[in-house]
Amino acid sequence: MKVWSVAFKNLSRKKIRTSLTIGGVAVAVAVLVSLSGFDAGYQRSLDRDIDKLGYHLLVTAKGCPYEAATLMLKGGGGLRYMEDSVYKRIVNDRRIDKITPQLVSSVYNQEGQSGRGAFTLYMGIEKSYLDLKPWSKFKYGHWFSGPDADEAIMGYEAAEVEQRSVGDKIFIPGMDKVLTVVGIFERAGTQDDGVIFIPLATAQRIFGLEGKLTGIGIKLKDIRTIAKFEEDLYNEPGIQVVSLAQVRGTILNLVSSARAMAGSVALIAIFIAIIGVTNTILMSVFERTREIGVMKALGASAADVFKIIWLETTIICFLGGLAGVVLAFSGSSIIEHLIRRFLPYTPAGKLVFIKPSLLLVAFLITVIMGLVAGIYPALRASLMKPIEAIRSGE
Amino acid sequence: MTRSFCRSIISGGRVLAISAAVLLLFFQQLYAAVGCTLNDPDRDVKRIFPQSTGYRTEFITIQEAGGQELYKKIEKELGDKFDPVYEAIDVPYAFYDVLKGKEVIATIHGVNQKGEYGGMQLILATDLNGKILDFFYQKMSSPEAGRFMNKNFTSQFIGLGLNDFLKGNFGIKDPSSNSSEDFQATLRGLKKNLILLDELKLKKAARR
Repeated sequence: MKVWSVAFKNLSRKKIRTSLTIGGVAVAVAVLVSLSGFDAGYQRSLDRDIDKLGYHLLVTAKGCPYEAATLMLKGGGGLRYMEDSVYKRIVNDRRIDKITPQLVSSVYNQEGQSGRGAFTLYMGIEKSYLDLKPWSKFKYGHWFSGPDADEAIMGYEAAEVEQRSVGDKIFIPGMDKVLTVVGIFERAGTQDDGVIFIPLATAQRIFGLEGKLTGIGIKLKDIRTIAKFEEDLYNEPGIQVVSLAQVRGTILNLVSSARAMAGSVALIAIFIAIIGVTNTILMSVFERTREIGVMKALGASAADVFKIIWLETTIICFLGGLAGVVLAFSGSSIIEHLIRRFLPYTPAGKLVFIKPSLLLVAFLITVIMGLVAGIYPALRASLMKPIEAIRSGE
Repeated sequence: MTRSFCRSIISGGRVLAISAAVLLLFFQQLYAAVGCTLNDPDRDVKRIFPQSTGYRTEFITIQEAGGQELYKKIEKELGDKFDPVYEAIDVPYAFYDVLKGKEVIATIHGVNQKGEYGGMQLILATDLNGKILDFFYQKMSSPEAGRFMNKNFTSQFIGLGLNDFLKGNFGIKDPSSNSSEDFQATLRGLKKNLILLDELKLKKAARR
């Protein structure tokens, strides 16, 4: 008996019903793959963003930890300042491998964007900033000519937006200050791309913040000393210490409820898909009761009937799984676009990371799901008694 | 029967693949190189043309419209070389066709232009013959930005077209006292904008 051909024929009799069931499985698989991909991608991008900070610790003025996390990742504005004497006191600590002071300031330019103004982010840095971020390479130009020079180095995107080249001028609105661009960094894929860097002393002078800092980035010689080091720093008044682990935890906490909800939706979708497949095949078995009776009367064994029905379920799940992984893979950029619109903070890089192994696992789960979902309808059909089945189908 | 079932599955798959490809292309366009788009098209179109009922957006690159030959032609017409980094051949220029019902009543289009102290975004609204109906700076960095962005200055360009810029004699004075580079940059940007409109939109429409 050609089991495959009979199973295909049975499914093609009700094309719309079969297609809808396959569609339901596909959507469930796509949701599962996308959410698993998001989970992996988000953490991966966040880790990458944090690694790219180059710090183990960031010392900031006391304030809201979320604000500090934002400062650390986005270099945000509306900031608190601390005295640079803190830097002077800790710079010679033997446990420190690299350390850099920084002063972030954002300037609102009312004429920057017609009708709504625009913020530009400036960061005062010293050369030690490059020690902590060795991947920050110059695409054009070079470092500042002096520690108090009226010069700027632009992040790649900042230069692109302002259409600046080395030697051009930039104007800081509100401060009435003109700086000369001496360098443009290569694209880093981080928030640094949108920042305009100026010498720390120049930033303190221009923004009227002499002796002030917004943060101190620290990399320790031995990461295992971090807890003790952090504890020692808390003896300094008016500061707080934010470690990488804390930042990572804060950000993950912010998105964890969204992730939990999305995970529940995926599980429900899978559950509904299983019920849908079982229901479809069961309906088809009830509709074909007489036919199954005739098949058995003509010599088909219970195993043959079982195989046919089981195969139908498996084909539906196989095709649904296939369509689902294609849908998830091709739609990942759309999902990513939506996530970026709705989440408060999204790291740079790919947010939905779909590995081939994830696609394979999702596909296998779907096929196994088909095999399980098909057992009951297949058993029911195979146990039918030919005479009764023919009679009840009349 | 089996064949027809497979055919229906394959045709369904084809629709899915095409839809996915279209969506991917759309999103790739969003992330493409830096062009000059309106900050808030819904708001801006309605503000400039209160009688409008909608708009249609089109992104066109010189590469797609005519390649290297067109790039050179535009440079020649402009009378200046394009910046190889910021005015590359694949920059997508945005054109917003303003609709009143089904009728196109005007086009809004912008360009980025290097200014003395930062990038400028020059937005023009033109009629169907390319005459300027409105002009504003969407972005500008300059100590004298206020003078440039003032209506008294920008409104002087209303009624001008590409021919006026090619002749270069329209008697508009530099509003600034120390930023003549920005004035020259504005004229260059507006001329570039009108040439692009002519080459990428008006000539194409005339050929139809």
